[in-house]
Amino acid sequence: MKDHAPSPVPLRPPETVMRLSRMGQMMPTRLSFLRVLVRRLCTERASVLRSVWDMSPDGYGQAVYSISLGDHTYSLVAISSHLPDDQRSDRVIATAWDAAFVLFDGVPGPNDLDRIATQAPKQEAGRFGPRDLVLSRANKSMRMWDATVAALQSGQQPDPRMIRDIGYLMRTTAVYGNGKFGIADRNLIADRPGLDGPFAAEMLTVYLIRHFTLDLVQHVGGAALDPRLARHIGIGNATGLGMAPFLVNHPVLLHNWMQARETALARVIGRAAITDEQINRLQDLARRARAHLADWHVPAEEHNAVLRHLEADWDRFLDHFDAPASFASLWHAAQSETASLQELLAALLLEVCPEDVDDLAADMGDPFGALVAPFRDTDAVKAAISSDWAWALGLDYSAAEHCGRFWYVSAAKLEPRLGDRFTEPGAELESPLDTARRVAKLYADLPEQSEPVSAFTATHPEHVHAIARVALLACYPYAEIRDNLIAATCRPIDMLRCKLSFFGATKFDPKSDLWTRITLAQGAPLANELRPEMDDWWLPVMER
Amino acid sequence: MSWTEVQNLGVKAASGAGVPAAQALAFGAMVARHVADDGPQGAVAAALSEPDRIVGLAHKVETIVEAASISSKPVLTKEEDAGTRAMLVSWITGLPCKSELEVAGAKLRINLSLTEPSTRGRPERLHLEPSLAALMTELAANTYVPDSEASRSGGAGAGLMELD
Repeated sequence: MKDHAPSPVPLRPPETVMRLSRMGQMMPTRLSFLRVLVRRLCTERASVLRSVWDMSPDGYGQAVYSISLGDHTYSLVAISSHLPDDQRSDRVIATAWDAAFVLFDGVPGPNDLDRIATQAPKQEAGRFGPRDLVLSRANKSMRMWDATVAALQSGQQPDPRMIRDIGYLMRTTAVYGNGKFGIADRNLIADRPGLDGPFAAEMLTVYLIRHFTLDLVQHVGGAALDPRLARHIGIGNATGLGMAPFLVNHPVLLHNWMQARETALARVIGRAAITDEQINRLQDLARRARAHLADWHVPAEEHNAVLRHLEADWDRFLDHFDAPASFASLWHAAQSETASLQELLAALLLEVCPEDVDDLAADMGDPFGALVAPFRDTDAVKAAISSDWAWALGLDYSAAEHCGRFWYVSAAKLEPRLGDRFTEPGAELESPLDTARRVAKLYADLPEQSEPVSAFTATHPEHVHAIARVALLACYPYAEIRDNLIAATCRPIDMLRCKLSFFGATKFDPKSDLWTRITLAQGAPLANELRPEMDDWWLPVMER
Repeated sequence: MSWTEVQNLGVKAASGAGVPAAQALAFGAMVARHVADDGPQGAVAAALSEPDRIVGLAHKVETIVEAASISSKPVLTKEEDAGTRAMLVSWITGLPCKSELEVAGAKLRINLSLTEPSTRGRPERLHLEPSLAALMTELAANTYVPDSEASRSGGAGAGLMELD
């Protein structure tokens, strides 16, 4: 946890920010990890070198791309394979994909390439080494792929409306980092310039995969894409429950992400003055946001209704951008609006004042783990719960509405899942994501007479976990989602939206309350455009 | 194996052996540190067969941290058998805070700086003995839930075999 210069206005309190209903409305910002990475690539004027392109006319084979970042070279190894249509699935239980990828530390030699070509297509069933930094795979969007290839082969460009509506040629279904399946642990690269931010290696992989998909479609199509269209082709991703528990299991990271964002917002709102240039920029971005919302339609009726509501609200709110007296007045005007509009405005305000924001990206990692002093006695634990956990107390956790769900790890793919406590087996093996219930139980069991915490835990070892969470929250106020994650009404999609917004995702396309598709890098500069002036792709809209 | 693999396997193995959540998390961190520092892996296997011993070890560390938060004086542990002492060393040196340890006969003299991060490095690879890896994998399996039809129909990609 870093200390920042105090902001002239207080940060929004965790009681407001850390609710799922609001986290589920979050938007990407210039602090989002992909954005931070691309900004760094732009600053370094990085260039991508394609050193291997061993590809059949149909687009099957190998490619290697190398890029220098912070005085290190990293290479994406891409393996493209033929995949029958009936095997193309977003499911984590899939066993074959259109393409498999490894981000390699350095430039791979022939032996490395042979090894990766053998192992990468196996994904979770493969074994990897410490020079393999990230493992990923992707499937084609066949509608977009086929139409783009057909257009290019006939000397045309693909339909911009299709690019707008789909947004990518391939969709990743997993991006693994940090030691999984033998790949390098995060700590081995965490101090490297450019990879020091959270998920930076994963974001570099995603950015290079997007570049590969553009190369591949132009190779098979036999012609070049119009750069304006190519720029609007991102890389898709399908994300399920696997990433939801991450936010609970990495409380210090969650705190650091949220605190950075909230500090940035407070700095902007706290600005004493607003310049004409900033007003012009606000207006431009507000119009861009309107166009982005107009382009963003999803098939799920419930989610589309939320989007259309936001679009209408935003339209009405645009008048406030005409002549704002200050950033604070603009923010104040939004306080009677929905959480959805407020989160959009927060992201926009951050975009206008990079000088208040960009330095905070350096503080979003967690290099040490939690440094938390223990409570002096059980009364101190009790006081902390009374102060910070009121939202978790007072619920009847034996009632179905408050304990209807349970999180567990599936035997089939060792992936997190969410079950119905009353109709599905396995609740006795649930993962400890029931933090609210645990803290409430701890509170009830704390002794009336204060005693050392170690004396209490000697007879109540089951409460050590809850005590640790209470101690963490006392030091890291944004570390905890302030909702009951086993409630029958808990919507994991809100946790996914929060995390994915920090990745920099756009065009959230929820397929249920449990999984979503998104687009990354849409509007991002192409690999031959990595220059500082290209860092302007928040809520991208296709050039018309 | 990577550090993360060993640590996560340690967490799951302890959970599968019946150790509560927080102690299992800490045990996982201990195992990775222990393996990295060439600690006796037989001691880890023995502990997994006695989950109460792991809970007891975790509580011992808790009292050490508590004492360190009250006084800056070094904490002197009671006499321990060699295996327990070795795991205690790994547990303490696996904490995120800075620690200094001195072996004093069958006891340990421990200095903790709770507000300073640990500076101990991590190796690229860890060698988990096959017998311990097999035991931990077997115990970890106790924590997994067989997929139900309901869970299969709710995951990412569920219900779709489409072209977009």
